[in-house]
Amino acid sequence: MMGKLLRVELMKIKRKGFWFLTFLGPIGVVALQVVNYSVRWDYLKTLSDDDWLFYLQNVSGFTPLALVLGIAILTSFMASIENETNAWKQLLALPVRKTHVYLAKFTVLAGLLFLASILLCVATLAYGLTLDFGSGVPVFELLEYSFFPFFASLPILALQLWVAMVSENQGLPITAGVLNVILTYSAYSLPDWAIWKWTTLMNAWQEPLYNGLMGLAVGLVIYMVGMMDFVRRDVK
Amino acid sequence: MGFEVIEVEYIVETKNLTKKFGKDTAVEGLNMHIRRGEIYGFLGPNGAGKTTTIRMLLGLMKPTSGSVHIFGKDLNRDKLNILRKVGSLVENPSYYPHLTAYENLEAMRKIVGCEKARIHEVLEIVGLTNATNKKVKGFSLGMRQRLGIAMALLNRPELLILDEPTNGLDPSGIIEVRNLIKSLPHEYGMTVLISSHLLSEIEQVATTVGIVTKGKMIYQDSIEALRRHSQHHISFRVSHGERAWRSLMAAGIKTQFEGDVVTLNDHTDDDTVAAAVRALVREQISVYRIEEDKRSLEEIFLQMTTKERAV
Repeated sequence: MMGKLLRVELMKIKRKGFWFLTFLGPIGVVALQVVNYSVRWDYLKTLSDDDWLFYLQNVSGFTPLALVLGIAILTSFMASIENETNAWKQLLALPVRKTHVYLAKFTVLAGLLFLASILLCVATLAYGLTLDFGSGVPVFELLEYSFFPFFASLPILALQLWVAMVSENQGLPITAGVLNVILTYSAYSLPDWAIWKWTTLMNAWQEPLYNGLMGLAVGLVIYMVGMMDFVRRDVK
Repeated sequence: MGFEVIEVEYIVETKNLTKKFGKDTAVEGLNMHIRRGEIYGFLGPNGAGKTTTIRMLLGLMKPTSGSVHIFGKDLNRDKLNILRKVGSLVENPSYYPHLTAYENLEAMRKIVGCEKARIHEVLEIVGLTNATNKKVKGFSLGMRQRLGIAMALLNRPELLILDEPTNGLDPSGIIEVRNLIKSLPHEYGMTVLISSHLLSEIEQVATTVGIVTKGKMIYQDSIEALRRHSQHHISFRVSHGERAWRSLMAAGIKTQFEGDVVTLNDHTDDDTVAAAVRALVREQISVYRIEEDKRSLEEIFLQMTTKERAV
């Protein structure tokens, strides 16, 4: 049943701009560095000893914002597919489990974001290679900066999906999305336990892995709570 | 998965079905009985609890108390197996506007698991073959309603639940849909539950009616039984109401009186009327007027539903 539902969800996101946004996010983040490095490459060279690492940090400066913004837009698109004509009653009167429907939506969103992370990795590497940093590619750091933010952002995805799936007023998920983006924007001044800081991969231990693991764990918990709430509620 | 076919008395049976929203009671102690092959007309004014009831039948809402049995199985325990054999159109049709009619049905087909040819079949049934590859965004209200009906028919349901299915259709569309619904029980062995706030709508298709108002079922019987209610009344305006009533009673004619009007309810054939007049004349009661009062089903419906409201 899950396989069928996933295929149905993939079919329903056609012509909605999901794929476009998935590509736009990572390409946009790298494009900012294309501008940055084409304008002042000579200056940027003087700022650091390890040009590759410095470049990765520059790219990742925008990754959290793009990711959280993407989550806000994609989740609200996702919920709007059914909310638009109140198709929940149609979908959930079919022989499907509500838990499966919720999981299918979450999986498609997480899948799109993961795909965006892969694209980010590829685009970062591709542009980095053209810059001739004069040293080998720091593979581990590249993967770290490309994929840990995704895992670290899962709590925000779970939270945002929950709000979008259960609220009758679509102003609510938009408000939540704006708040998430603002909080991520101010991540530097947030304490380590705030989920919005995690996507920046900063913490007191200087260990990005912690952010990824915490994101995975807390994301799972919020996902479960959101799903149970969705199942418990009467269909709109 | 095993879903044995057992002959059950009722396809749909609710027991004391109740739904409360906070302090408001939307549906109260509803007992609905639908037999196999029936077209059950579910009638009631707007806001009477029809849609809430239907939502509970489809497992979209959990009852506050009471139970729903469909195909003799408890909806709470066998929801998926039951829903596999139910088709539904609840309130306004739901669809994905950015997809074509075909894609909308395909999205559904993937879940219910019938063969692809069935999509063209149902589009043909509702007369949307020409719009197969058009986006639903551009559909008229009537076409959307037809698509909704096509969706409800897709899985070849044994029980079809249609909530206000003729909403937004033009007169010829209404007749088409009506004929379609009428043909479903004998052609495909379906049992149909159709709701409406218009009696005239139900009257022409239903074999059984359930009338609900303020969340309570106030009438449930065959359409013929309801029609009998609509038979004529003969009222006599006389000089002495109570005396007239008594003398008619003595003559073996059952009537009711209210002030100076005596009403003849059950037997309104010519002979009885003549006998009544004779009895009244014999008792020297002046008869001022004899009136025939023909009530339409619509009036009965209105009377039933407003009476309840006044309580």
